Amino acid sequence: MTALPLKKPFAGLRVADLAWVGVGPSVSKYLADHGAEVIRVESGTYPDPLRRVGPFLNDTPGPENSGYYANFNSSKLGITLNLKHPRGPELLKRLVARCDVVTESFTPGTMARFGVDYESLRQVRPDLVMISMPLFASSGPWSRYMGYGHVLQAATGYNHLTGWPDGPPIGTGIAYTDFFVPHIAAAVLVAALDYRRRTGRGQLIDFSQMEAALQGLGTAIIDWTANAHEQSRLGNRDPEAAPHGCYRCKDGRWIVIACFTEEQWAGLKAALGRPDWCDLERMRRKWQRLNEQKEIDRHLAAWVEDMTRREADAAEEPVEGAEGVTIRRFTTYELMHWMQQHGVPCGVVQSAEEMHNDPQLVHRGHYWRLRHPVLGEHTYDGPAFRLSRTPAELTKAAPMLGEDNEYVYRQVLGLAEEEFIDLLVDGAFE
Amino acid sequence: MDPAPPVPSPHPDGPLAGYRVLDFADEKGQFCARFLAELGADVIKVEPREGDPTRRNGPFFRGEEGPETSLYWWAMNAGKRSVTCELRLEPGRALAARLAENADIVIETNVPGQAAKYGLDYDTLSARNPALIVVSITNFGQTGPYRHLLATDIVGSAMGGQMHLNGDDERGPLRTTAPQAYAQANVQAAVGATVALYARGVNGGIGQHVDVSMQEAMANAMDNAQQTWDLRHVNVRGPGMRRMIAGDPGPQYLFEARDGWITALQAGGLFGPNAGPIIDWLSEAGEARGLDSPEWREKLTAMSVAATGDLDYVEETMALFCKSRMKEELVAEAQRRGAGWAPVFSPREIVESKHLADRDFWVRVHHEDIGESFIYPGPPFRSNATPWKQRGRAPRVGEHNEQVYGELLGIDSAELRRLRTRMVI
Repeated sequence: MTALPLKKPFAGLRVADLAWVGVGPSVSKYLADHGAEVIRVESGTYPDPLRRVGPFLNDTPGPENSGYYANFNSSKLGITLNLKHPRGPELLKRLVARCDVVTESFTPGTMARFGVDYESLRQVRPDLVMISMPLFASSGPWSRYMGYGHVLQAATGYNHLTGWPDGPPIGTGIAYTDFFVPHIAAAVLVAALDYRRRTGRGQLIDFSQMEAALQGLGTAIIDWTANAHEQSRLGNRDPEAAPHGCYRCKDGRWIVIACFTEEQWAGLKAALGRPDWCDLERMRRKWQRLNEQKEIDRHLAAWVEDMTRREADAAEEPVEGAEGVTIRRFTTYELMHWMQQHGVPCGVVQSAEEMHNDPQLVHRGHYWRLRHPVLGEHTYDGPAFRLSRTPAELTKAAPMLGEDNEYVYRQVLGLAEEEFIDLLVDGAFE
Repeated sequence: MDPAPPVPSPHPDGPLAGYRVLDFADEKGQFCARFLAELGADVIKVEPREGDPTRRNGPFFRGEEGPETSLYWWAMNAGKRSVTCELRLEPGRALAARLAENADIVIETNVPGQAAKYGLDYDTLSARNPALIVVSITNFGQTGPYRHLLATDIVGSAMGGQMHLNGDDERGPLRTTAPQAYAQANVQAAVGATVALYARGVNGGIGQHVDVSMQEAMANAMDNAQQTWDLRHVNVRGPGMRRMIAGDPGPQYLFEARDGWITALQAGGLFGPNAGPIIDWLSEAGEARGLDSPEWREKLTAMSVAATGDLDYVEETMALFCKSRMKEELVAEAQRRGAGWAPVFSPREIVESKHLADRDFWVRVHHEDIGESFIYPGPPFRSNATPWKQRGRAPRVGEHNEQVYGELLGIDSAELRRLRTRMVI
């Protein structure tokens, strides 16, 4: 039954990807990495702004030097098109007529201004599935507001819910919604494609990054609407676990420990060697421990600091004044495994460098190394899931600006060589 | 015979209408299953007799703990049907297997190896239903040296690297209080599930196993940290009130207003090629503190505020300007001047947002057992063809036993009684 190789899920589908920055390209990346022919359509004059955002190769800005841009655009082709050129919109329509999907994430109204909104495009491709993904929404008082994931996370509650209780709502430090919203958009888009596969019907998916981001707040909305209780940032604590925190090890790394259940707490006590404070009457039940978190954190922080060592330090150290007695200290990762052996959920706060070398991620092949003509061999994120029969395959590094103009305009659109050159000379691809 | 349960409401127009999903999941997969229900799938939550363990997750309605009052349960299981099925008993496992013969997708979150004990592993299920898609969402994935490690949300956030990017130098890494490792595992699993559905459609109806890792889901939420390490050998870490730009702390992006906080990249836009209109704004208010001089304008626009002291002065000027003003006023005027500011909203402010009200975003969900309706989040997208739909409150424990076991498996009421007596359902 496993003998027959299966078709890649989206083999044979063609996508015109007009979206830019983080959200849109991450959506079409899923399609590209699973077999679709995704064509990034960029302006040659004003390409995707991410091409101008680092990290850059050798810290040197340049349109082909951004690792940020590259990561979102694996397995894609790239063309340039000047929509302001008299023939720009027509060329786009000719492309869309040969596409199954269009993605875009411009400010509402932009596509219509060039005469390439859904209504126009579906004239040339009736079963087109198009997804529009503006930041706030296609309508409403904020529809024309500008911004990025960094500020959308503020408007959608993530800042309010990230920080220490006595400090400002510092947020996630990253453009968080750019890394949450695309997954929802991709699932919706693929569901719409499946509907089209079964019925032959296309559609416009009028998607809102803001309204998608609001799906990720757990119970924060309903706690307000049903209980009039407003959740707020709790540092690293959790309303349902004690201890629940982040503790600094001797080598400067941090380790997290969480005890939601009595079993986990019993495991933690054993892992710590049953110090007296653990068995105090006021530590007996979870609701009591929730009230004693400050004290628990103080003990735990001291224990972790005291019982860990730098990798280079000796594991066993003689105890002063006690002949032949030694104390064993853990490296940070040894402590994680020690806690895990005792049934305690525990992990190391891993840096990007540690993620690159993480034995689990290496085993899973999470990061892909792809060769780019300018960037060289370079790291790309793969999907968090493995499909057993049709796994993702990142087939190539990100496209260079206009790299596939000739293939797309000549082969896909069928322009004659002369026409292609005329358009080129006339600036249609600028 | 009891009347048919009032929930979930039908959703025949959803893009996934006609598909059936069995949900055996914990926090790592319940939201994924709920989302598939909102897209039209018939989602059946399978619970042990005493109710799913997550019904004990707080917060609780009016603080009263009980199996039907968990707001966590309400939020993550709305729109599903519920059956009870005791997987620790052989007849329960047999029932689950029959349900899986009638399903398109099974979502499970057992520690790798555990699912086989219940007959819920891919090999066993697919032998009886080769079209089945089994979505297994686990802490670290089905394979690899860490596959058996325990994790909760914060462990996923730590081992998935994202937590390293939050926080600040002084107090260390930081988790988002609303659990994001769980949220990420759920939404990325939803992509895996829909891609597998599509793959089945184009491959003659052959299903497959979708192996989702929470660690990897969080790893994909590290912004450009991997590329920054790869290209620059810089480890991105929590910048506090600043924004990290490829691993280097950029200008302050968070400012306190009179009534809360606002976010405004590049010190509110004072720092960068579009600084002009923002400098004008401060200048018009007489609060530019000299930044409207030609020299400063040039320096700010060219982003050549090299000396740290200079940047501090710019940030301080913006901080003073914001401190005396209301946040929504600030944001509206900044947006008018072409700067992408946004207010920091709390859950309450989100619910009270004029923009979202104008969009008619919220849905009211009736809880007839309580006699009240509550506001739930609305659609992430609109569509004339295959819309999203909220399908009513979360189910009570075993609320759909008769309906599901009767209509789907043809089990009559005498047999149902026997199953009940034998404590299978």
